[in-house]
Parts: sequence; structure tokens; C-alpha cells
Amino acid sequence: MSRRLLLGACAAAFMSFASYTVVGGAGAAQALRAPAAVQTTSAPQRAVLEKYCITCHNQRIKTAGLMLDTMDTAAVAEHAEVWENVLLKVSTGVMPPAGRPRPDKADRDGFISWLESELDAASAARPNVGRGTLHRLNRTEYANAIRDLLGLQIDGAALLPADNAAYGFDNIADALSLSPVLTERYLSAAATVSHLALGRVSGTPSPETYYVRTDLDQRDRVSEDLPLGSSGGLAVRRYFPADGEYSFKMKLQERGSGRFGPRDDPRQLDVSIDGARVWTFTGGGPKPAPAGDKPTASRAAPAAPQPEGDIIPNEAQRRAEPQQNVEDLLQFRVHVKAGSHLVQVYFVPLTSAYVEDVIEPTIRTKYLPGNGAGDPALSSLTITGPYDAAGRDDSPSRRRVFICRPATKDDTACAEKIISTLGRRAFRRPLTATDLQTLMGLYRTAADRSGFESGIEVALRGILVNPQFLFRLEGQPASAVANTPYRVTDLELASRLSFFLWSSIPDDELLDVASKARLHDPAVLEHQVRRMLADERSSALVKNFGGQWLLVRNMAGVTPNPEYFFQFDDNLRKGFQQETELFIDAIIREDHSVLDLLDADFTFVNERLARHYGIPGIYGERFRRVALPPDSVRRGLLGQGSILTVTSYSHRTSPVLRGKWILDNLLGAPPPPPPPNIPELQEKATDGKVRSAREQMEQHRRNPSCAGCHARMDPLGLALENFDAVGAWRTVDQSDAPIDASGTLPDGGKFDGPVALRKELLTNRAGDFVTTLSQKLLTYALGRGVEYYDAPAVRQIKRSAAPTNYRFSSLILGVVKSAPFQMRMARDLAGAPNSAGSTPGPTGSSTPKLVN
Amino acid sequence: MLITRLHLPRRTFLRGAGVALALPFLDAMVPALSAMKNTAAQPVRRFGTVYIGNGKNMAKWTPATEGSGFEFSPTLKPLEPLRDQLVVVTGLDNWPAMDQGDAGGQHSRTGPAFMSGVHPKQTEGADVRAGITIDQIAAQVLCKDSKLSSLEMALDRTDVVGACEHKYACAYINSICWRTATTPLPMETNPRFVFERLFGSGDTVEERLARSEEDRSILDVITSEIGRLRRTLNPHDGLKLGEYLDAIRDVEQRIQRVEASNVELAVPDRPAGIPQTVKEHAELMFDLQLLAFQADITRVSTLMLAREISGTTYNEIGLPDGHHSISHHGNNPEKIQNYTKLNTYHVQMFADFLKKMAATNDGDGSLLDHSILLYGSGMSEGNVHNNLDVPVLVAGGADGRLKGGRHVRYPKGTPLANLGLTLLDKMGVPVENFGDSTGKLEVLSGM
Repeated sequence: MSRRLLLGACAAAFMSFASYTVVGGAGAAQALRAPAAVQTTSAPQRAVLEKYCITCHNQRIKTAGLMLDTMDTAAVAEHAEVWENVLLKVSTGVMPPAGRPRPDKADRDGFISWLESELDAASAARPNVGRGTLHRLNRTEYANAIRDLLGLQIDGAALLPADNAAYGFDNIADALSLSPVLTERYLSAAATVSHLALGRVSGTPSPETYYVRTDLDQRDRVSEDLPLGSSGGLAVRRYFPADGEYSFKMKLQERGSGRFGPRDDPRQLDVSIDGARVWTFTGGGPKPAPAGDKPTASRAAPAAPQPEGDIIPNEAQRRAEPQQNVEDLLQFRVHVKAGSHLVQVYFVPLTSAYVEDVIEPTIRTKYLPGNGAGDPALSSLTITGPYDAAGRDDSPSRRRVFICRPATKDDTACAEKIISTLGRRAFRRPLTATDLQTLMGLYRTAADRSGFESGIEVALRGILVNPQFLFRLEGQPASAVANTPYRVTDLELASRLSFFLWSSIPDDELLDVASKARLHDPAVLEHQVRRMLADERSSALVKNFGGQWLLVRNMAGVTPNPEYFFQFDDNLRKGFQQETELFIDAIIREDHSVLDLLDADFTFVNERLARHYGIPGIYGERFRRVALPPDSVRRGLLGQGSILTVTSYSHRTSPVLRGKWILDNLLGAPPPPPPPNIPELQEKATDGKVRSAREQMEQHRRNPSCAGCHARMDPLGLALENFDAVGAWRTVDQSDAPIDASGTLPDGGKFDGPVALRKELLTNRAGDFVTTLSQKLLTYALGRGVEYYDAPAVRQIKRSAAPTNYRFSSLILGVVKSAPFQMRMARDLAGAPNSAGSTPGPTGSSTPKLVN
Repeated sequence: MLITRLHLPRRTFLRGAGVALALPFLDAMVPALSAMKNTAAQPVRRFGTVYIGNGKNMAKWTPATEGSGFEFSPTLKPLEPLRDQLVVVTGLDNWPAMDQGDAGGQHSRTGPAFMSGVHPKQTEGADVRAGITIDQIAAQVLCKDSKLSSLEMALDRTDVVGACEHKYACAYINSICWRTATTPLPMETNPRFVFERLFGSGDTVEERLARSEEDRSILDVITSEIGRLRRTLNPHDGLKLGEYLDAIRDVEQRIQRVEASNVELAVPDRPAGIPQTVKEHAELMFDLQLLAFQADITRVSTLMLAREISGTTYNEIGLPDGHHSISHHGNNPEKIQNYTKLNTYHVQMFADFLKKMAATNDGDGSLLDHSILLYGSGMSEGNVHNNLDVPVLVAGGADGRLKGGRHVRYPKGTPLANLGLTLLDKMGVPVENFGDSTGKLEVLSGM
């Protein structure tokens, strides 16, 4: 039965573990770590405990409530939660604490591997895959599901309220609550989505505005979606629900003198759709555009007339023209076909040659970000429409929905076909007769009143608020024994898989495989996982997993103090985010080892970013891959502007924040929260001189109650001090002293600067990094916090990825094959939900949890 | 007042077990209250709350003198023109927000404790628990027949990762309104959504009615679906699905009331989205709140101008640091100045809103005359996370039941919940106690 190769006396332990791990040993490449010689007595481990641990953790002193002298090393299973905590502290080097005697490497490794195998065996004997909670779709998943179901690109944030997050992610079942407000929004969203999808637009169209941040530098091309040679503006991909007229209105920024002033050179503003220009306007110049001259509702509105005769117009006349006029002229209407289109608004500069004129350096007054004097800048674009929608036209989403047409007026076969197809995709399983009957009921009522399409629309709305769409329903078979795990069905597994890798519903191929009950087959499962990773929808992993794990999502809200960082603008903000996203995406698509996240020999930059990083020879807005030499400070996540900025304050760096970030997200050893009422750091010495960060934090070292935690955190952050609060390299800090980026960790690791820190992490902490990443992936995949009883699964994921040197796909496969991912704990069907659980469930105990 | 205990132990709300949590005890109260309501032309009372997290610089908030004719402090200066319609209340303690052995999480506790008087449970998981808040208690009575039972709005974006306190679920920071002890209400940040909640979609009454009819038939179907599905799930999942059922029933009731009211509203222009500056955003939300009151769409509204640990920067007044950072001034004089500046800015926004309320006609009096507005923070000195002597003030006439123009100071140890109790009484929602209240506030309660 067991297909795993086993060695030595570990046979028994591993055998029982394998029968519960539904891994099935896919692939012969599953090499094993050499198992430690199983102790029939645990005497050597007992000796280690006596020597290094029990001096504090005993019944007499009761340090941290842990009494190791009373615990039986021959019966680890009885106190698995406590032992997992012991294992965590010892393997991450937290215990024994700094300054106390530590075991040598051999003893330590022996202890760790003994404890791991004991705990794994205990878990195999009595597996606990954790209690799932009913899991609703979050906002992102809802929007992606709509995209895949109806071919409609919508912005989830425009339709639904934000979701609560927990354990660092916004797809945690327990935190995704329900309320009447949310239900109303679901109803409203269902109507909006179905109207958009079917192109049924009625009533006054609502405007949709796209804003440009005021701190975007618009003097050059700002996006790869804008034409070469353009400057400023914005590009947005938008879904136009029906053929019809749409109005476009542009607003310019008010600050600086970003308007078409009469003293400026004439400026040209263009609007293009899918690369074809639909409107142009030239403003500014000696004669302002005359009032009342509004462009007509057709292509290429007339430009402002050029002055005839006098070059210098009547001063009084010019002053009498209100500035408001320019705004009124920046709008037009144009006919647009239904579908997704790229709308581009941009300025066309007269020339890219430098003006040999008066030098006008960019001077920032107070906190007004923006462009240099005289350059107009776009503030927003508002699109409203369609006006006079010409009825039911063709559109990509209509084609996706209407796969047939009714033959006669009373023909319901077509409606049934459409509803079954949509319902199967939306509910992620074939519709039952009852499902269909219910939906057809909705169809008939509406169709009788207003026709076929109306009926389909109401049925679609009924699908979109249906709990089978909004929730990932997982049943419990009657045969399941309470408090033991059972395997979820293939269809349920398909949902888990697609929400994990795509943050969306399964596609038809995955549903087909699952419907045929073939998905649980290890070879089929692996094939599907690889297919899904290669599919472009796996970019959801970058944005949703990567964005939250590494806090990159916070980049959008970061506002560094312009007084200190006046070079920072929205171009850089977007650039940072894009660099990290492209980087993680490359790691996934090229299936790198996850260790490359720490030290890859490449990154992605455009001109702005390259200038910021000091990488020469990069020109243009386009992001391109660049190679980084081994001694480059920019290799890996720790050299990327996004990480360095989100871990800083708006006016200075914080080595503590950065150290904490590393401990939390890379090493899985989060520090406890600070005690209350900590005094502020003294930023200036008594003589008024500004102090360096290291000097400011000296209290962390001097005071032993601070040092306990800060000795682990501060050196990590201080090693990155050469990166300022927006990720630029510096050699002197705010106190004008040369930066000292050296550090020593309590376990002896020494480094000086980011390159050495990287090497230290890779050499000595690579295991912790992989473990942490596995935990985060598991949290994200399961939609619940990872608990102590998941630790064996995490170890198994890491072990299974070791042979490939921890390639990303191996970790993903490890997660997918793990017991918690494929199984569910049966609940007692008879009792109330709060009945005393006999199996250990997540308890709010005082012992710290295993993960973040 | 013949109503006795409104306050139920939290356990009652938790028990649930799939039964609709529509507070049965209040149904029993209704006959008594409606008799009260139908007496001589009682004007409709409104209750609004405006909340600012991260405390205030108390040195500049607390007026130096007490009683009538008190001197306005620097932070409260913008409210001086409205002196006669407001009461500054000092000395109240938000004790439930304090650390009671669960260290850290001061901000997470302050918000929920502000209007509930309950010490929130320390958890990161689904078992968040605080207490029902006074706005929801009021809504159950005041908005029983309203189109909307209450309106919750906020300005801060809630999708910032890692911004919540250790060991506390983000739900504690994201909302200060709790419908039950276990249900925090989401607070809407997009004015467009608020608009649609108030006015629905559709331009004419016919369109709105057609839409609500369709919605109702859809919800009918879903209700029976849920019943059917619950039988296939384990009890725990079934309970959660039951929450959806409760929510649907709530929405159905509201739709029914809309159809019954059939009022032709002069619907203003739909807002386009979230404005760029804080001031514009706040103004828009205040305007919507005013509209909601004016058109009697709801009578209870809460606006969280700044949530706890808010990272919002106020570049428009020269403050590029985040709100929370500003509140931790570390006794640096320049930073304290910034803190005061920000406090005053918020007060100014509120003052502008009050002026509009005062200028809005509401039958025999202005909208402000018939309202009670609570403004303040659950934390006093933000730098040290103090929750004693919190900064609050009450504005409005409460239809003649609130005498303004005073600064009233209460002795140490007076719970903040007593203020809530007093306000509920003035709204005609008599409650014996809630949270850690010990009784109504003297001086304030007796006019």
C-alpha cells in the first residue's frame, strides 16, 4: 500500500504517517532526508533539556509557564502543542536566550531532528487537519469570478466593501463576515454586473472617474500603455457595456500653473482609444480659446484658433477671459463600441529638445507636489455613458452568455442550457435538478413579463446572490466519523485549487476533470497544478499572495514626506510596485528556487527606477530585466524599493520596523509586541545634534529587558541602514555620520551591510525562510491561520521541496498535496457548534502560536 | 418610563444557533413605544456620531472654565458660533478600553468600547466580541420604519495590510458600530455607495419599484435555497450560512418599507467616487448624512472621520505625516503643535456640518434643533494611549431636551457609557443600562 521508500527503524513511524498523508509519493524524485536514528530511549535528548533548558523551565521557577522537568520525553504526543513551541524556539535560535549557554551544533541538530520526528509521528497517529469555517468569496475573488464567468472586467472595489483581514491575508474564512450592508451590496452588484454583461443599460448613465495622483511627474511618458513621445496623462482599460455615445471629460491639475495659460506655449492634449486618436485639443498660447466655442460631438474636435493679426492681444480682453473656460472645452462625446478598450489621455509636447532659456529648476513650495512651473498636468478623466444606447448589441460578454437563442417564444430549452452552463461555472459543480428548477422559476416570472433576455438577466442575478456562488460550500459525508479527517470531494478540491492559484473559479477543464472524479489522482493533480501555474491567471498569486505577504500592497498608500524626499513621486511609487510584482512573477513563471527571492541575479527596472538605484544606461518607461552582479546591493527582495519604503516611516528609516519585517515575513520568528508607554527615541542629542539611528536605539542594547527582543531585530534592520526611507543608497545618514551597517545576532551571525546580510540569511537561515514561506502559503491556501498541529504538514512541504532545491512549484505542490489542503475535519453532527471538541482545536491559549 | 431592562447579557446575542437575531425583546416593547410616538406631533429625532481616533491634545481641548459662558479652548474655537447648541463634556472615562491584562491593542479596544462600554475580546480570529453600540440601540427604535436602519460611513481605506494591532483582528479597527456583540458593521468609504444605499439605483419611482420587486423575488428564492442547503452542511457551517439568512431578511424588510413609502425624492447628482482631499471627502460624507436626515431615509448615522491608527496624511494643511504618527508626539513641542492643528482641523469640519444642519429647515425648527450629535474620541492623550477623561461633546437641540452653551465636567471615574445612556434617554430610547454604565449623567440629563 505505501508507496514510499523507507529506511531503518523509522519504518513504523513513517508508515503510519504516509497512510494519512494523501501525498501518495507522486514522483520518484521524492528523496528523503536521512532519518535520525530513532531513540528507543530519549536519554540524550533528556540530557540536552537538563543541561540547557530545565535550569529555567522547571516547576520551581516556572519561566514562561513552561515546566520541562515534568514533561515526559517518551510521550511527546501528549503535549504536542507545547513541544511544537519548544521546537519553534530552538530551531529559530530564540532559545536558549542570548547570554546563556547554548548546545553545540551536533547536539542541537540531534535534538531538533529527534523532536521533529516525534511530532511528525504523533501527528500521523492522530491527525488534525483543522476545523474549516464556511468560506465566502472575498472582493477580489468575486471580481475575478465575474471576469471568468461573464468575460467582464469589473473593479471589485467599485462594487463591494473592503473585506477584513486576519493573519496577514484578506481571504481568511473566519474574518470574512456577513452583514445586511454586504447583502445589499451583493444585490446591487448582481444587478450592475448583469446589466453590464447583457449590455442592458437604462436610465441616466453614471459617471466613472479615474484620478491621477497629484504627485505624479507628468513631464515624460508615464506608462507603457501611452504612446512614445507623449507626456503625462493616464491610460486605463475600461469595459464599455454597450455601443453608444460616451462623454469624456478631462480636468487639469490646479496647482503649479498646470493649465493652458495665455502666457505659455500652446499645448496639445489628445485622447485615443485603442491607439486611434479620437480627439485633440490645443490650448494656451497668446490668444486664449474664445468662450462658447465647444467641440461638437464627433471625432477630432477643432483646436483653439490661432491668433490672426496681432500677436499680442488686448490685455484687458485676455484678463476678462475666466480660466474656467479651458475646463469647459476639455470634454467631448464619441461613439464607442461595446467591449473592453484602452483609453489613453496624454499631452503631446512640442519638442523633446531642451529649451535653451532661463533656467527654471523644480522648486517645491511647502508640500505642493507636482510638476515644474508651466507644465500642464492631468488631474482626472470622467467617462459617462452610454447615452442613447442603441439596444442590444454584440459584446464579448453577451457572446459568452448567449450560447443559443430560443427557437420559439415558449421554448425554454435554450434558457435551460444557458442557465445550466452559467450555473455550473458559478456554483463550481453541475447543477442539480432542484437548482435548475429554482433558477428557471426566476427566469419564467421575468420572461413572462418582459421577454427572454429579461428572464436570463434575473436568473443571472439569482445566481450571483446565491450562497452556492458566494460561499465555498463543502459537505460532510454521512460516513465521516466525528473529529477525524475525511477527504473532500474532487469538485470541492477543484474550488480549493482554483481559489488558491487563481483567486477565482475553476475553468471548464478543471471542472471536467473534477466531475469525472479524476482530480485526486496524484499524476492528474500535479498536471493540473502545473497547468494552472503556467496560466496567466496565476498572476493572482503575485498580487494577492505576494502583495500581502510582503506588504507590497501598502505601496499604493505610502506618502513619504516631501520635505525630505522631494524626489519621490508617483512614478517611483508605481515603479517600486511594478518591479516587485514583475520580480515575483518571474520567480513563479520561471520556477526558480524560492531562495532566489533573497538573492536573484536579476530585477526589473525602467529609467526612473534605474536612476533611483544608480543603474546606468537604462532609458525609457518600459520595464526591462537587468542582470545584477553578485556584489550588487539590489539583489533580492531586501534591495527593492517597495520593501524598503513600506518598512520605513514617512520621514526616516526604522531599523526596528525593517528588522521586524524580516523576522515576521522571512524568518517566521515574530517578536512579541512592545510593552506600552515606551518613551520616544531621542532624535537629537542634548546638544541639539541629530543622532544616527544606531545611537537613538542604544537604549535597546543597554536595557536588558529591551535587549531580549531587540537584539534579534535591530541588527537586521541596521544592516539595511544604507537604504534611506525611499530605498535610495546613501553613505551618510541624517546625522551626517558615515553609516555603520554592521551587526551581530545573538546566535553569533555577523554581517556588515546588505550583501553580507543576504549571505548570512542564505547560509544560516535558508531553512527558516522556506518554512516561513510554506506557512504563509498554507495560510493563504487554507484560508485560516496555521496552528501548531499544522507544523508537521509544513515540515513535510519543506521536505518534499528539498530535492528540487525548493523550486516554487515544488512548494505549491507540497501545499496542494498536504493533508490539510485535501481533507477536512468531521464535526459532530448531533451537537451544537460549541460542543466541547475532543480533538485539539485552535485554542486561545497563552502559549504563543506557531505562526505570525 | 415603563420599559425595563433593555440590556441583555452578551450571551443572548451569541447563542443565535441559526435563529434570526431580530431582538425579540424589542418587538415586545413596540406597542408601548408606538403609543408614545403617536402623541402630539413628536418631531422626528436624529442621532449622529462623528468619531476621531488617536485621541486629542487634551491641553488644548479642555476648556479652562466650566458652566455656562465657558471659554472656548483653541481646538474648540471653530465651534464658538454654535455655542448655544452644544455641550462640552469632560471627565468621562473609557475604562473598558484600557489594558486589563491583555497588553497591546489599545487602539483596537478604544474604538469598539467608545459606544458600547464593553471591553473587547482579544482575538485575531472569527470570534470577535465587543458589545452592541448606542447608535444601533437607538436605530432599533428610531429607525424601525425607516428605509435604512442606520448609516455607517468612514474615510480611511480599510485595505492596508499589516496595519492592525498584534493579536487583534482588523475588524476592531475598521468599525466602531456593533449591531450585536459579535457583529461589527462595515463602514462605507465610497460616497457613491452611500448614495446608492440612500437613493437606490434607478431614476424614477417606477424603476426603483421594478427593481425592488425583482430583488424581492430573488431574495425569496435564496431564502428557501439557504434552508435547503443548511441541511447538507455541518452545524457550524450552517450557523454561518444562517447569518446570510438574517442579513437577507433584514434587506427584505427594508425593501418592503421602500415600496410602502413610495416617496418621490429629489435625487441629487450621484457622486463620482472618492475625492482626493480629506476635506472634500469629509464634506461629501457630511452632505450625504445631512440628506439622509433631511429626507428621513434614516435617523441614525455614524461617520468615522479618522479611525484608530489612521495613516491618513493631511498634506492640504501641511501635515505630511500620518495621523497616528502625529498623535505620538513624544512631547516634542513642534509635533504637539501639529497634533493640535489636526485636532482643530477636524473640529472645523464638524463645525461646518453643524452650520449646515442649523440652516436646514425641519418643520418647526432646524434639523440641528431636532438632532443629537456626539463628537469625540475614545482616547484622550493619544501619545500615551490614555483612555481616561476622553474628549467628547454633544451638539444639537434634541428637540428641546438638551440645553446648550455649557461645559460640564464630571468627577473621576464616571463611565463614558453614562453619557450614552443619557443621550439614549433624550432620544426617547430609555435603557436601564448598557456596557459599564452606572446611571444617567446628572446636570446633563436634567436639562
